[in-house]
Amino acid sequence: MSETPLDYADLFETAPCGYVLADKDGRITRANATFAQWVGSAPEELQGKRFANLLPIAVRIFYESHVAPMLHIQGSVSEIALDILHTNGNKLPMLVNGTALRDDRGQVASLRFAVFTASQRRNYEQTLLHSRNEAQASVLSERAESELREQFIAVLGHDLRNPLASIASGTRMLLKEQLSERGSMILRLIDGSVVRAVGLIDNVLDFARGRLGGGITLTRDDREPLEPVLRQVIAELQTIGPNHQIEAAFSITEAIDCDRVRMGQLLSNLLGNALTHGAKDQPVRVMAEAAGGQLIIAVANGGEPIPATALERLFQPFFRGDGHSRHEGLGLGLHIASEIARAHGGTLTVASDPRETCFTFTMPLARTAQA
Amino acid sequence: MTHETSGASQNPAPIVESLNARVTGTGERAMMFAHGFGCDQNMWRYVAPAFEDRFRTVVFDYVGSGGADLDAYVIDKYATLDGYAQDVIDLARALEIKDGIFVGHSVSAMIGLIAARQAPELFSKLVLVAPSPCYIDDADYVGGFSRAQILELLDFLDSNHMGWSQAMAPMIMANPDRPELGEELAGSFCRSDPEIAKRFARTTFLSDNRGDLGAIAAQVLILQCRDDLIAPLAVGDYVHGAIPGSELVVMNATGHCPNLSAPEETIAAITAFV
Repeated sequence: MSETPLDYADLFETAPCGYVLADKDGRITRANATFAQWVGSAPEELQGKRFANLLPIAVRIFYESHVAPMLHIQGSVSEIALDILHTNGNKLPMLVNGTALRDDRGQVASLRFAVFTASQRRNYEQTLLHSRNEAQASVLSERAESELREQFIAVLGHDLRNPLASIASGTRMLLKEQLSERGSMILRLIDGSVVRAVGLIDNVLDFARGRLGGGITLTRDDREPLEPVLRQVIAELQTIGPNHQIEAAFSITEAIDCDRVRMGQLLSNLLGNALTHGAKDQPVRVMAEAAGGQLIIAVANGGEPIPATALERLFQPFFRGDGHSRHEGLGLGLHIASEIARAHGGTLTVASDPRETCFTFTMPLARTAQA
Repeated sequence: MTHETSGASQNPAPIVESLNARVTGTGERAMMFAHGFGCDQNMWRYVAPAFEDRFRTVVFDYVGSGGADLDAYVIDKYATLDGYAQDVIDLARALEIKDGIFVGHSVSAMIGLIAARQAPELFSKLVLVAPSPCYIDDADYVGGFSRAQILELLDFLDSNHMGWSQAMAPMIMANPDRPELGEELAGSFCRSDPEIAKRFARTTFLSDNRGDLGAIAAQVLILQCRDDLIAPLAVGDYVHGAIPGSELVVMNATGHCPNLSAPEETIAAITAFV
């Protein structure tokens, strides 16, 4: 094929986009056939009209207050979404690029626009916008729902603790009365059950808070000794298994920067686990020591070892070792204990063999990045 | 955070930074230029420099526009023009302006009037460029638009997220000595956060501030363009009639932004007044 000279005039008139030339005030000096056809006019009918007057009034305000200043200051605009009016009154979604030509004094002398149809794109954007608004609305309603749930759980926890406290104090008052041996034994069992129920409520509340984004919060201070808190936990837990021997060895001489209530909860959960799953004829050993820059709390019990497959999932919520236990706990105790360890910048590990099963909590005494 | 009292006077007040204010020029009196809806301090780039030899000139961006601090935007505060007027007052006080000249374009004309009424000591002269106290027609009052048209504008801005250049591009801020880096970024001027632009439009175009006109201590010059779609001649006449003693100059410039399209005529009109 021989080369034919490019017909620029034809390209201008019938280009697959609209061309509009205007003077510095935006009066159209020339529009191409494509643009004229899109807006339903003859090209010469457009001459002398202001480009802004082809826009719906609302869009005109946007053009005059934002697009026209941009053309003056920046010398160009690109990808501006505008509606342009067809002579039949329909709005045509368009994307517009514009440039300003300056005279030798730097003043804007004329304007050029390239106009592209954008109906499909605008449709797509509207759909996206709609979806975004819906998504935002549903996030808001979910947030409101979860706040309600959190309040519900907090109120439930509070309401459950109150009657338990009454039962506990009633039990302790009764224990001072003259009772038959059988009566005392039953009362001690009730007392143990109350302790266990309080622990369960604490764990459920913590778990719910964690799931709702609150996480385990700590109130650390190092002014009060930790040991009495741990001893108190052992005394309380003894009521769960009055005949199960608990041996305690403490060696904490220095002040520990930790949340003592949480430490008590951690020991309570580990000890509760040991008393429930350990062999009843072997003692549970509790060891706590602060040495070498670390606080270590370990709880060991005898009995059947934990299977290797179960070890991996032991700290997951709602995990219950199946088979050898008649107790149906929620499976939250070890999970919460490991979360408390983590919040303190420490770890909770487990080792289990036929000789003993031992949970070990270790935390650094110097506080690191964990605040 | 503790309060430090020492050295405070050496650092610019927080408002100066949060409104991205630039102070240049020398002179005893200050001249503050305020931009309108849709743009930023660049609006004044052809006009403000002409006054630097005689005045301390101040340009700035409203919160949510240009290089102003986005985080300073508070929905309730800026739901009325009073919030913007408070920023003008705070900025003028921080810069220790007294008997200054306030030049406000478009919605800033009304913001300046409100500020001058609340703190008369700041500005003794006001230049209102293409002002409109109310864009919506109301009984005998001609604002130029029906309520439906203004609501259509707000709808349009709502769906037109392509129309605004996001008020971000922190790399421009990081290279103040190389402005060409900014120039290369399309939309580095008149940036606005689309959400804030939408709210600013609502505040601007739904406000009725006709009550803020009336007698005022400051001298007032109204610059009206001949063919302004946003603030038509009738509105300029109304403002002129409602502020006793005000001066009205109808310019040959067309459009809504004579400070850009006819800077020389704008400079001449302001020079004659100040």
